[in-house]
Amino acid sequence: MFLLNKELVKYPLNLIVHPFNGYWDLKYDRSQKLNLIISFAILFLLALTNILGTQYSGFVVNLFNPDYMNSFMEIVYVVVPVLFWCVANWSLTTLMDGEGKFAEIFTSTCFALIPLVVINFPWIWLSNVISMQESAFYYFSNSLAVAWSIFLLFVGNMTVHQFSPSKTIGTIILTVVAMGFMAFIGLLFFSLVQQIISFVYIIYQELVMRN
Amino acid sequence: MFRRLQNMKAHLLVSLCCLIGVSAGGTLVHAEDGASSYNYSFWGDTVASPAAYQATDLLSGPDLGIGPLKEPSDIHVTPDHQIYVLDSGNNRIVVLDEELRPVATIASFERDGKADTFLNPQGLFVTEDKQVLVADTGNKRVVHLDRNFKLVKIVEAPESELLKENFVFQPVRVIMDKAQRIYVMATGVFDGFMEFNADGAFTSFIGANRVFIDPVEYFWKRLSTKAQRSQMVMFTPTEFTNLDMDDEGFIYATNGDSFGNNIKKLNAQGNDILRRTGYFNPQGDIRFSIDLGPSRLIDIDVADSEMYSVLDSKRGRIFTYSGDGHFMYVFGGLGNQLGEFKTPAAIERVGDDFLVLDKALGEITVFRTTEYGRTLNEAVRSYYRGEEEKAFQLFNQTINRNANLEFAYAGIGKALLRQGDYAEAMKHFKRSMDQKNYSKAFLLYRKQVLREHFATIMTLIVILAAGALAVRKYRKTMGRKRGVSIE
Repeated sequence: MFLLNKELVKYPLNLIVHPFNGYWDLKYDRSQKLNLIISFAILFLLALTNILGTQYSGFVVNLFNPDYMNSFMEIVYVVVPVLFWCVANWSLTTLMDGEGKFAEIFTSTCFALIPLVVINFPWIWLSNVISMQESAFYYFSNSLAVAWSIFLLFVGNMTVHQFSPSKTIGTIILTVVAMGFMAFIGLLFFSLVQQIISFVYIIYQELVMRN
Repeated sequence: MFRRLQNMKAHLLVSLCCLIGVSAGGTLVHAEDGASSYNYSFWGDTVASPAAYQATDLLSGPDLGIGPLKEPSDIHVTPDHQIYVLDSGNNRIVVLDEELRPVATIASFERDGKADTFLNPQGLFVTEDKQVLVADTGNKRVVHLDRNFKLVKIVEAPESELLKENFVFQPVRVIMDKAQRIYVMATGVFDGFMEFNADGAFTSFIGANRVFIDPVEYFWKRLSTKAQRSQMVMFTPTEFTNLDMDDEGFIYATNGDSFGNNIKKLNAQGNDILRRTGYFNPQGDIRFSIDLGPSRLIDIDVADSEMYSVLDSKRGRIFTYSGDGHFMYVFGGLGNQLGEFKTPAAIERVGDDFLVLDKALGEITVFRTTEYGRTLNEAVRSYYRGEEEKAFQLFNQTINRNANLEFAYAGIGKALLRQGDYAEAMKHFKRSMDQKNYSKAFLLYRKQVLREHFATIMTLIVILAAGALAVRKYRKTMGRKRGVSIE
């Protein structure tokens, strides 16, 4: 059990510094169950980092209105984009001869988010002991984390689907476009459902108030 | 058992009394405030604020013993609190003293041995040594009288290559600086204020407003032909709506812009040098309904310590800002009650009191400070003068009355920073959402803490390092021993 725990931490950290080997292992060598467990843990930790970040980051780098702080929404902001990305990417790559299964896409995406946790989490506490001049380091680290994550996402996608780099970039761009379409259709769907519900409700009211 | 019950009853009674007291106090405060006084928080929300000013008197012409005022359009107060009212409809100027008793009425002045009169004058300015300037709009001229109301000069329509041939000189507002230069705001002039030298000769324009180009309009203009374009609306800068001058000779002006800066402080070159370091740019209301739109500022009055007040004609509100651009307080409104107006036209400060002139009703409303308003005015003044200790006390008093006044916390924080209480200063800067000063206080605080605990921190580091070394060595020797034993 202890060995497994050590592995649970070591394996993802090893992956982010050796992405090409790491993602190969993720696809071909590791058990999918372990990958999924780690992926959900990463999503949870990322949501936690974001929540703690809005609440506890230092005043010098963090101005937030407590009225609009909503932990639930912070979770949604993490989970929904990841799901959108995975669904869009899977839908596209199945048509474009990608070799990745949905679970592989999901795990590779989640593993790519590790830098956002590993770098940003300590900065929540560090940002409380920096001044405005030193906040440049904070912003630099944040950008670094984002850049690293995007790189990992790229490598992960390339390895999982066994694409060439240029094809990967093409699919990533198309995936973002597809995400936009999905968001649009989702909104359309919800507003239509709302209209139908209100229509039915109005008919009900008419019937009830008739006499 | 019975005694305990009695004891409990007593407790209940006491707590009930407390509750009643609390609720009664709450309703009382609410009734006093009304809805007319508010402030804006850092996040742009409207927050409650106690009234800084209250209307005390409503003065009409007959009350003052000067006959009814007919469409008065401007008012001016001298440093020794003499009040000059420009009674436009009756073509006269009425002078009142501090107790609002009539001192003089000027209906005519002598020009070349003949009596001359005003015709629908719109603007009035009185210098520190009580020279009077009148924008005599109907006669298309500016009249300059000395302190005994004898004519000094008349500024007629200027002739200059800067002006169009069909230019009609219609001065509506006028001011004069200490060097006797006259600045005139005239209708139909888009190039800024007209500047006249001490002899009354036109020199130049100053401080033109920027042109605002509507992108949609611009698009259609690009598509249309020259003939069509000539029929369309031209992009012209907005006109100013009013102006005033502070002690140092800077012109404060308001304009009718819905976008951009509608309050300006112009230096001699005509550049806008107003400090906008508050949470929002000074502009009147920042939250407004779309149908009524943003504030339309039509008068500005500069007080001491760089405080200035502007009058919004749309809602009849008077906003006051500190020199740093912090929104201090608001009062007034449109309506029929005391302290509300129908067509407010001009505001003027008499010391700390306000006079608001209502054009249609011909009445003057007098506003006097409340305890809160007095404390806040004094606090801002002391802060401006750099008397931090006094400002600290006064700001503390203001936040006791109004915890929503966020910029006051920065004032307290600065005094605490000077005193060396960095932790408290940080707390106050955080409350006023002032990151810059918070960072300053924090740097000093961090230095102080590190210096205080330097010995402890260093000891800890040394011990940790030594411990780590020892553990490593121990492991090494253990590993070697085991390796040896295995072999």
